[in-house]
Amino acid sequence: MKELREQIEDVIKDEPVALFMKGTPQMVMCGNSYRALNALHAAKAPVTAVDILPDPRIRQELSSVSGWPTIPQVFVKGELVGGADIVEELLESGELERKLDGALGDDRSQDVKVVALELV
Amino acid sequence: MAAMDAETIRELLVRAFPGAEELAVEDRTGTGDHFQVTVASAEFDGLSLIDQHRRVNDVLADRIADGSIHELRIKTKGSG
Repeated sequence: MKELREQIEDVIKDEPVALFMKGTPQMVMCGNSYRALNALHAAKAPVTAVDILPDPRIRQELSSVSGWPTIPQVFVKGELVGGADIVEELLESGELERKLDGALGDDRSQDVKVVALELV
Repeated sequence: MAAMDAETIRELLVRAFPGAEELAVEDRTGTGDHFQVTVASAEFDGLSLIDQHRRVNDVLADRIADGSIHELRIKTKGSG
């Protein structure tokens, strides 16, 4: 099994849009994660969600990888876009959709999937 | 996880952004752990939104890491 840090890096690197959140898209456990998820949906993004709640080490490792202290965290093609405030602001300005168009093309899928990290 | 008050956070930010044109901290829930921070400063000019937020996060990093700030909402503006 891969180290937790490596699993997190793989999700960031391999998934078109990664959302590290509290809870899952089916059961969101935090208002800010909900705001980020909604903004991504509104911008017609595919979403690969990772729940950080099962173990505090997930958040520790994630913040150490990204240099971003709070949850949620949104990545597009491996690049940190920001948290709920930034994603909402970018949605309102239209920049989020432009960024997604540029990174993923404008006929992108809107699949939502959940990746569970393996914990020792 | 001692609760913070908005004034303490404001003082930290004033020290970090001495030339800020606007600097407001609101305790959103009255519980000393959910804050809305607004900073307008010429220091943000030319920085991307994410780098602007990083500058604010950096000031409060210890309080976020130890959980005394549970939620931080950030609104930044340049001088424009």
